[in-house]
Amino acid sequence: MSLQTPRILPQHLSNFHPNANSRTHTVRILGTVSALQGETAKITCGTHGDVTLILTPDEHLQMGKLVEIVGKVADIEGGVGIRVLGTTDWGNPADCDYKIYEQVVEATHRVKSIFYDAE
Amino acid sequence: MDGGYGNNYNPYGSQTGGGFMPGETNSPSGGKGGGGDNKTIRPVTVKQINDATCPYPEAPFQVDGADVSSVMFVAQVRNISKQSTNITYKVDDSTGDVEVKKWVDSATADSMDVDDPNGIHTKGYVRVYGSIKSFGNKRYVGAHSIRPVTDINEFLCSMLEATASHLFFTRGPPGGAAGGAAGGAGGDAAMVDYGGPPAHNKALQTMSPFARDIYNLLRTEPQDDTGLHLQVVANKLGLPPTDVARAGEELLNAGVIFSTLDEQTWAILDY
Repeated sequence: MSLQTPRILPQHLSNFHPNANSRTHTVRILGTVSALQGETAKITCGTHGDVTLILTPDEHLQMGKLVEIVGKVADIEGGVGIRVLGTTDWGNPADCDYKIYEQVVEATHRVKSIFYDAE
Repeated sequence: MDGGYGNNYNPYGSQTGGGFMPGETNSPSGGKGGGGDNKTIRPVTVKQINDATCPYPEAPFQVDGADVSSVMFVAQVRNISKQSTNITYKVDDSTGDVEVKKWVDSATADSMDVDDPNGIHTKGYVRVYGSIKSFGNKRYVGAHSIRPVTDINEFLCSMLEATASHLFFTRGPPGGAAGGAAGGAGGDAAMVDYGGPPAHNKALQTMSPFARDIYNLLRTEPQDDTGLHLQVVANKLGLPPTDVARAGEELLNAGVIFSTLDEQTWAILDY
């Protein structure tokens, strides 16, 4: 089976936590880089809050850019975050209508069967 | 197929050539079943391509129970490998991965060693138009066209298009007479059941609401072997006869009803 990485919003993180009853813990999330501190970073996901990322040495994020993150949901200090496996730079956040992304996340989980295999 | 023929309703028109006679069970139009218009390009997810079924060798692939000839999707390129006859892209759209082969036209491809002839590179997103193929046990997409996508909105919308198309084929057109269309909050609803033979249900899903109404009326209304006349159907449903004629033609062409006493008296084809 090929790797499936459902798209999520910050509020769905706990559903894909390693302890949660989900088959996949690798997810995708879209957000704007809002903080960079050494090995961690924060992205802001529209009006849905921030997610803390644990970076790998060879991934370079730029402040203020829209990025798509592929990563594993992991425990971090003070909550749940994402251990980054890969990133894609989508440039200026103003060029993206985040509402479409929200709809894609909605569709992903409402019509699971064409996006990922649950449990 | 439902071109304007106004009041001159004639099921034995030029394009059908022969029509549908009672007892003639092997009508060419009867075999088509699933709506017939499988020349369309279906927006899909990669997972749907990998889940597509092939009822028998050499048969067209089926997604959501409907034949699919061409597909389109947007995905991220993971790997590019150039061969002498084709370029193989390994792509991933978060729902799975699949190989896409673009055959190299030797007449136009003058330099094979240009890095990315179309601006396609690893980690970039691409839109692929193509058809599902299999070689041995390996499934791949034969690309008619592959081009880079730089607008994230286009990519995200392609996911929504695939969803809309999936729901159309599994639940019927939005807002139509198809029962559970508006309902189902979670998961995929089962096929809408019109009570007829299973092959009919599939055909009906792609038809106009009028056609479905007529089918349901023919199925439930008490009648003798000769079925119901167009005028009776029109009265019962309160529809203009021209609309009934048009929708009747749809049902006739799909082979779910047949004409009995005359061209305007129909009964359901049970087989």
